[in-house]
Amino acid sequence: MVALERELREPLAPAPSTTTADAIPLALRRHGGSPRQVLAITFIGILALALFASRDLPSWVGGLGDGPLIERAQPLATKWDDAMASIGLTRPHEALRDLIRRLLDAQW
Amino acid sequence: MLFPTLGFLLFFLIVAAAMAVLDTRFAAKKAVLVVASYYFYAQWDWRFCFLLAGSSALSYLAGQLIDKAPDRGRARTILGIAVALHLGLLGAFKYFDFFISSANQLARLLGLEHELPFIEILLPVGISFFTFHGISYITDVYRGDVAVCRNPLDMLLYMSFFPQLVAGPIVRAAYFLPQLARPSTEPIPIGPALLLILSGLFKKVVIANYLATGLVDPVFSAPTSYGGPDLLLATYGYAVQIFCDFSAYSDMAIALAALLGFRFPANFNQPYRAQRLREFWQRWHISLSTWLRDYLYKPLGGNRDGRLRTYRNLLLTMLLGGLWHGAAWKFIAWGALHGGGLAVERMLEPWIGRRALSPVAKIIATLVVFHFVCFAWIFFRAEDFAMASLYIGGLATGWSGGLQQAGPFVVALIALGLAGQFTPDALFDRVALAFARVPSWGLGAMAGIVVALINALGPEGVAPFIYFRF
Repeated sequence: MVALERELREPLAPAPSTTTADAIPLALRRHGGSPRQVLAITFIGILALALFASRDLPSWVGGLGDGPLIERAQPLATKWDDAMASIGLTRPHEALRDLIRRLLDAQW
Repeated sequence: MLFPTLGFLLFFLIVAAAMAVLDTRFAAKKAVLVVASYYFYAQWDWRFCFLLAGSSALSYLAGQLIDKAPDRGRARTILGIAVALHLGLLGAFKYFDFFISSANQLARLLGLEHELPFIEILLPVGISFFTFHGISYITDVYRGDVAVCRNPLDMLLYMSFFPQLVAGPIVRAAYFLPQLARPSTEPIPIGPALLLILSGLFKKVVIANYLATGLVDPVFSAPTSYGGPDLLLATYGYAVQIFCDFSAYSDMAIALAALLGFRFPANFNQPYRAQRLREFWQRWHISLSTWLRDYLYKPLGGNRDGRLRTYRNLLLTMLLGGLWHGAAWKFIAWGALHGGGLAVERMLEPWIGRRALSPVAKIIATLVVFHFVCFAWIFFRAEDFAMASLYIGGLATGWSGGLQQAGPFVVALIALGLAGQFTPDALFDRVALAFARVPSWGLGAMAGIVVALINALGPEGVAPFIYFRF
């Protein structure tokens, strides 16, 4: 463990206990954005996810819980998925699922 | 509420909207984050929120009393009481039934008929983490490493901040509280944060989940049904699975905190490339190993009082580190193996310690450490001690048959997970800097599409993270 690296010849108590490094180093924190950009990215990300992951949308909505709002949202999610399938946006999803199925079935 | 779910995504959208609207109103932002964190925690069981609030209140009050104590002796007494109360809460919820069960087993061995009753309470998710947060704060106040927290809102947020609340990393008060004192003037590192989220999702959804369902779970649940090759690959598989699962959670927690304007410490650094067991603990669950070092190993005396005391302190620290993971003898065995390994490594230091290793010796050292860690994982993952013994017995003797469970795909995932341990550090930095040059709308669209692709690659449903149960 980390402690074992150092020989403790000095008294222990006054030594600062925090010797942690930032997970995102300073050099990478110099470029960035604002909270508004974070909001915009989150929103666009959800939109892109709704377009390309519509196959799982009905089950995700089901996973949100129970209640009248969810009951109303689930048919909408199914309709949305049908619409995405009709314009071909579900094809990458289906192709990847098919690929994974074949990889899982592969034997030595 | 798990990170890779629609519920969490919508929750984060609302929190991000609040952060954007409140902009420079830092106190209001902190208040929103406290409310959001308690809402997040209440999704498991709303009653646990009272426990979290109680633990926060205890830490806050103890900090105030230690700060105002007239002398060092009084401060030490308050520290002792507060730590005992924190550990008492943890013990009552996490360890009470384990000790009752062990006492009953001992009583049966001694021929006593009376059995103590169990209390059978639900383990509050994240209790080990927020208890360690609380202990870290009051100890740091006592030691003078952190200024006493006078704002109750800051203490509530430090203890409950949702990215790290249920599975860490363990963020020290001296590291986090100064970030709450004034708003950060740094830009939000959106590129690195998105890269951490996407790589974390891939590790969890694709690598960890398929290894669990395709190899590790079936083999560990019935080890006698499999031969040595499957048992060995399932051991490697679990080593990769637990790394990908836990480091994925840490990566996402770090990224979410960064997107909300806060810094978190690193928690993993390619642990399976370690050439010493000591180095493994410098790379694995760093926030826990440094916590154990500073709040357990050093107070026990560290390496100050001679070799035998050092070995004892190492063993005790790792035993308690094992017990922290769960109330079971198998975790104590896991801790004992690591403590014993560290002590033996230290004993051998005059022979192996100071010399620079040749390239071949480095490879051998890495393989030895990796296999020792894998052996210890068998105890960690097995249902109980008896299963671990059967598993190890099968590994030692059952080499006549071929592979039944481990197909080419899961073996490729193990290879991919292990290859990831040896990528150069600069790779992440280069990709993150490339992300930083993409405009916001492009980053959002790319992130959404990559998440959709990762989702398509992963199995149906969302498996909980391994460290939620600790």
